[in-house]
Amino acid sequence: MNTKLRNGAAGQPLPLIDGIEKVTGRAVFTADLDGADCLTGRILRSPVSHGRIVRIDVSKARELDGVVAIVTGTDCALTYGVIPIAMNEYPMARDKVRYRGEPVAAVAAVDAATAERALELIELEIEELPASFTAAEARKVEAGQLHEGKPGNLEREVHHEFGNVADGFAKAALVHQESFDCAEINHAQLEPHAALAEYDPERHRLTMHTVSQVPFYVHLMLARCLEMESSQIRVVKPFVGGGFGARTETLNFEIIVALLARAAGGKVMMRLTREECFLTHRGRPNTKVTMKIGLDRAGRITAVECEAVMAGGAYAGYGLVTILYAGALLHGIYQLPSVKFDGYRVYTNTPPCGAMRGHGTVDVRHAFECILDRMAREMGLDPFEVRRANLLEAPMYTANGLMVNSYGLAECLDKVQTASDWHDRRGRLASGQESRQGSRRGLGMACSHYVSGAAKPVHWTGEPHAVVSMKLDFDGSVTVLTGASDIGQGSSTIVAIAAAEILSIDIGRVRVVTNDSVITPKDNGSYSSRVTFMVGNAAIEAAKALREKLVNAAAIKLEVAVEDIECEGESFFVKGANAASQSVLSFQDVAIAALALEGTITVKGTFTTPVKAQGGKHRGGAVGSTMGFSYAAQVVEVEVDVDTGQVRVEKVWAALDCGFAINPLAVEGQIEGSVWMGMGQGLSEETHYVDGLPAHASFLDYRFPTIAESPDIDVQIVESIDPLGPFGAKEAGEGALSGFPPALVNAVADAVGLDANFLPLTPDRVQAALIKLRKAARRKEAAS
Amino acid sequence: MKRIISLKVNGSPVEDAVSDNMLLIDYLRDSKGLTGAKKGCDGGECGACIVLVDGRPRPSCITLVATCDGTEIETIEGQAQNGRLTPLQRAFHENLGAQCGFCTPGMIMTATSLLRDNPTPDDEQIKEALANNLCRCTGYVKIIKSVRRAAEMTQEMTKVTS
Amino acid sequence: MSEFLPDFRLVRPQSLDQAITALQSEPGARLCAGGTDIIVNMRRGLVEVETLVDLSGIADLKTLDLDGNALRIGAGVTLRELAQHPGLIGPYQAIAQAAGLVAGPGHRQVATLGGNLCLDTRCLYYNQSHWWRKANDFCLKYHGDICHVAPKGNRCRAAFSGDMAPALMVLDASVEIIGPDGARRVPLAKLYREDGTDFLMLKPGEILTAVHVPVQRGKSTYDKIRVRGAVDFPLAGVAVAWRQDADGAHLFQLAVTGTNSMPINVDIPAPLGKDEDPDPYFATLEKLVQKAVSPQRTSTIAPHYRRLSVSALASRLARALI
Ligand SMILES: Cc1cc2nc3c(=O)[nH]c(=O)nc-3n(C[C@H](O)[C@H](O)[C@H](O)COP(=O)(O)OP(=O)(O)OC[C@H]3O[C@@H](n4cnc5c(N)ncnc54)[C@H](O)[C@@H]3O)c2cc1C
Ligand code: SF4
Ligand code: FES
Ligand code: FES
Repeated sequence: MNTKLRNGAAGQPLPLIDGIEKVTGRAVFTADLDGADCLTGRILRSPVSHGRIVRIDVSKARELDGVVAIVTGTDCALTYGVIPIAMNEYPMARDKVRYRGEPVAAVAAVDAATAERALELIELEIEELPASFTAAEARKVEAGQLHEGKPGNLEREVHHEFGNVADGFAKAALVHQESFDCAEINHAQLEPHAALAEYDPERHRLTMHTVSQVPFYVHLMLARCLEMESSQIRVVKPFVGGGFGARTETLNFEIIVALLARAAGGKVMMRLTREECFLTHRGRPNTKVTMKIGLDRAGRITAVECEAVMAGGAYAGYGLVTILYAGALLHGIYQLPSVKFDGYRVYTNTPPCGAMRGHGTVDVRHAFECILDRMAREMGLDPFEVRRANLLEAPMYTANGLMVNSYGLAECLDKVQTASDWHDRRGRLASGQESRQGSRRGLGMACSHYVSGAAKPVHWTGEPHAVVSMKLDFDGSVTVLTGASDIGQGSSTIVAIAAAEILSIDIGRVRVVTNDSVITPKDNGSYSSRVTFMVGNAAIEAAKALREKLVNAAAIKLEVAVEDIECEGESFFVKGANAASQSVLSFQDVAIAALALEGTITVKGTFTTPVKAQGGKHRGGAVGSTMGFSYAAQVVEVEVDVDTGQVRVEKVWAALDCGFAINPLAVEGQIEGSVWMGMGQGLSEETHYVDGLPAHASFLDYRFPTIAESPDIDVQIVESIDPLGPFGAKEAGEGALSGFPPALVNAVADAVGLDANFLPLTPDRVQAALIKLRKAARRKEAAS
Repeated sequence: MKRIISLKVNGSPVEDAVSDNMLLIDYLRDSKGLTGAKKGCDGGECGACIVLVDGRPRPSCITLVATCDGTEIETIEGQAQNGRLTPLQRAFHENLGAQCGFCTPGMIMTATSLLRDNPTPDDEQIKEALANNLCRCTGYVKIIKSVRRAAEMTQEMTKVTS
Repeated sequence: MSEFLPDFRLVRPQSLDQAITALQSEPGARLCAGGTDIIVNMRRGLVEVETLVDLSGIADLKTLDLDGNALRIGAGVTLRELAQHPGLIGPYQAIAQAAGLVAGPGHRQVATLGGNLCLDTRCLYYNQSHWWRKANDFCLKYHGDICHVAPKGNRCRAAFSGDMAPALMVLDASVEIIGPDGARRVPLAKLYREDGTDFLMLKPGEILTAVHVPVQRGKSTYDKIRVRGAVDFPLAGVAVAWRQDADGAHLFQLAVTGTNSMPINVDIPAPLGKDEDPDPYFATLEKLVQKAVSPQRTSTIAPHYRRLSVSALASRLARALI
């Protein structure tokens, strides 16, 4: 599938094909859709963390002028969820509420003020039950049980051992164990959730516009929860203002607004507030990681043992996959002879967690890379050297059966080491030469990786993983139809480039139509960085099919064999013949010739992951399996204020192996964005709850970085040319994220000697840890 | 309470009856159909709604439209002339200053005001000016670059014309 | 969770007299200057307003006079103007610095000095949506009967979080107030009381019209502790003014915001002697600051942190001035 490049569309930096809309304000997002003739939908949310619903009385609300429809848990008796075997959530709570903010009822009214007043008139009686907000509390015997049949509130436990860990540790020259506490975080995509549902009671049809990353899932869940024929549903995705995993699962409000539209027999717009977006959540869970690594004298890893405990929130959601990913993605980046993983996903009375950029891997990678650094220090090894001692050699399979086909980590390491002037600057910085008053500087590094799409999707139907259709018509334009959701990452542009590249045509001929279930082919959506790899390959296959038809038509017209047709740019001519003396066909000529044979041409391409990429045979072995991993290394330079605990990131150097950069501009943008998002998690982002109420539900309290403290990021692209990737490409949007937090912690250690075992490194935590460190040092000094 | 206000929106004079409690963002989006300015937060925290009021950037989600009586409002929709992009719009487009594009209208409007005041800002001045325009996609690197490029483009253009 | 503002009547007086009349004759009238605080709070349902008196049309409030004798800043002067004012240097520098550190540049275009000095106090349990507060049974500051921060206490501990007050307090500023009973002038420090619900000593119908700063010598500076590099309210902020007396001893004045329900002056009993060892002096100064402030659990950042970091910042700023 590694296709030779033809006209060089692939590999050139290209602005997004839908970029003009974005800079002119013409891009229409869901909340921008004409709302004039819409009802406004609002949700009533549970005020308590855990309780039995005794009574919901909507009669007063119904009487209010301007209220058109009210729905409650009784209007939907079917659960929804992303994992077919773990759907335990109702769009609106039925008998029990399990977190503060859980939807219990909803209103559609003529305007927001009326809807709001109606919510106040709904009488809700709940008998409170004991609630737990942390995994530790929830696991206690006496803790209230969130779900029946789940003692200790254990949603899922996972135990895997590959190789013999006991032997591995026995062989180690140094064994090091530590525990890390990584705070829960949220995607905070800038566009708040919104959906517009329109129900036609005459035809019994539902049209839904929503902010989804996976409109196909929304389609499935609407059909399920509304008990409708899926043929009667249409799902459209307008421009989407970021996702980062928040919108992979179908979300409760999407089903609720559809229920309202049906009840009202009309059109309902629902725009959630920022607070409600935080309540809808699906972020990265608080994870406590205890990890033990063994190294031999040369710094080679002999064994890894890891326990991860995740506080997953009130419902299953994506939890099973998150906890499996955490174990599976220990593998695939370094040579690991033996690995043991014990994972526990625990129910808590907080908003449900889910998938977030770097799904599953970030917090365990954090622990891993921090410990590796500390061990290197103890052994007198350079952090780069200890990583180099453990590199993989592709192609290979990991101990848990993951296929590694291409591997550019060594080059990533070289690049960032040189760019950051690591040898000369590390250690020298801490002397305070370059620092401001009371501050110290340091350098730290770490590596990371991520999958390019799951080789086996959660909704396994046996269909191809991706389908792309292409149409060529009388006007000589090529229309690509795809269900892949562009959520800002630039996937539509990738599809256009792939088409232009294979067809050897100007990209201006290509238009991409996306995400309308009545027009575009089904796609599994934008998650786990699958789009470039799978949809890219499907687009290549479709373009090849179209090209074949064109070459065929050119051959007939020029009266030669198909093999004799040559093509340069948009010109077709006979191979070898003197170009000047013969007739050259333009793309338009050939297109018309091809259309003459069969009329409007439609072709399609598909992509199916090879079985060899689908992971190990053990239970849960499909999770983590992929066609190709991206690899990243990064160096972070920090300045730590020893008095106030403030940590400032001065500069980042990142290199990522994305196989091949189909659009280097977008790859750079993805690396910058993911490194920076890792910085947010490392420095300041955190969702915390006060008795189950969010203490972070605004952008003043959920502190993702502003431009003011965001550093320059030096980006380098490494191209390992993956044998299965489209033009050799792999993913680029997630792999670099999980390297940032550990590189940050390692840099802080370099600067001030603090080994921080918590995330984020907020100033209060850093200050408290520094004070403890100084006290310990004083005690030690006193003792000696 | 309603009152009549007159103001200019993207150069066109308008007179409208607005209620006292109407926010500028709702006026623009709902009454004028100018949905370029976005709501990203519950009030004053993200900058996605920033438009120019008498040339100065203002979060329109915490501005009462009634207090804009007699002012001149500029939104992202009024930037391109006859469909041709302004240097800032072009620079954001060409340098991937916009990924998902949700923060972009606010970013470009704030930057428009910056470049009018200071045609050659350095990176620190760009950061200072855009400090309350949040972006969740780009890490800001290409946003800074886009503003810098726009400044250069404008300089080049004025050099050519003068 | 409200996406609309409740109904109210807006009045747009063109003069102070009209404003005072409007304020007096309308029950439940509130002032709005830049609106960057009050409109946010109205959106959250934190203030009930029947009439909103918009001060932005009153030219008299927008003047700044700086001459050899003194400085007078109208309450309607924007923070942007203050941050960029070429005259606010040396002894007045803290004013420009504090103004430049408030919120973001978009807010500072309209945010006023008066609004900043009268900014509502802040608390984790207060700056939340109606749904949130209702689910938590409200609190003393709004329709409730307990304080979640200090349940045993009988007053609200919400933190005063304006950046401007300390910068002006160290310069011995006083404020000009006009109300139904005429005009009065009080030291800025006396504008406040240590009560998060009722933190302003303004009588009904009164408007803060200007700030007066007497002639200054020496230098002043302001800085704040916050997690991010912009937008964030101060977890704590500190202003320091410095001058030398005839004997060459260093005199400091120090004020802190963000730690109490009012901005507070920190008493520095003795000057730093000309040839005195500064280290013990500043160590004592740090202790004094730590003792003077009483941060509470009004934010997710621990009170202890705010105490330690504001004292560290205070001595750092003071050292940098000499
Ligand atoms: C995201 C965000 C971040 C912020 N960060 C900060 C920060 O870091 N530091 C900071 O200090 N503030 C911050 N603020 C709050 C606010 O922007 C500033 O305090 C601003 O200076 C308030 O001024 P204003 O004119 O907009 O006040 P308004 O909102 O108009 O008024 C505030 C209060 O003062 C009263 N008032 C106004 N003028 C007068 C007067 N002349 N006499 C009597 N009472 C009056 C009003 O009735 C109201 O109660 C932030 C706000 C937001 C939204
Ligand atoms: S300090 Fe207490 S009374 Fe005051 S706002 Fe906070 S919780 Fe309410
Ligand atoms: S919507 Fe106005 S600042 Fe966020
Ligand atoms: S481009 Fe998505 S928020 Fe800025």
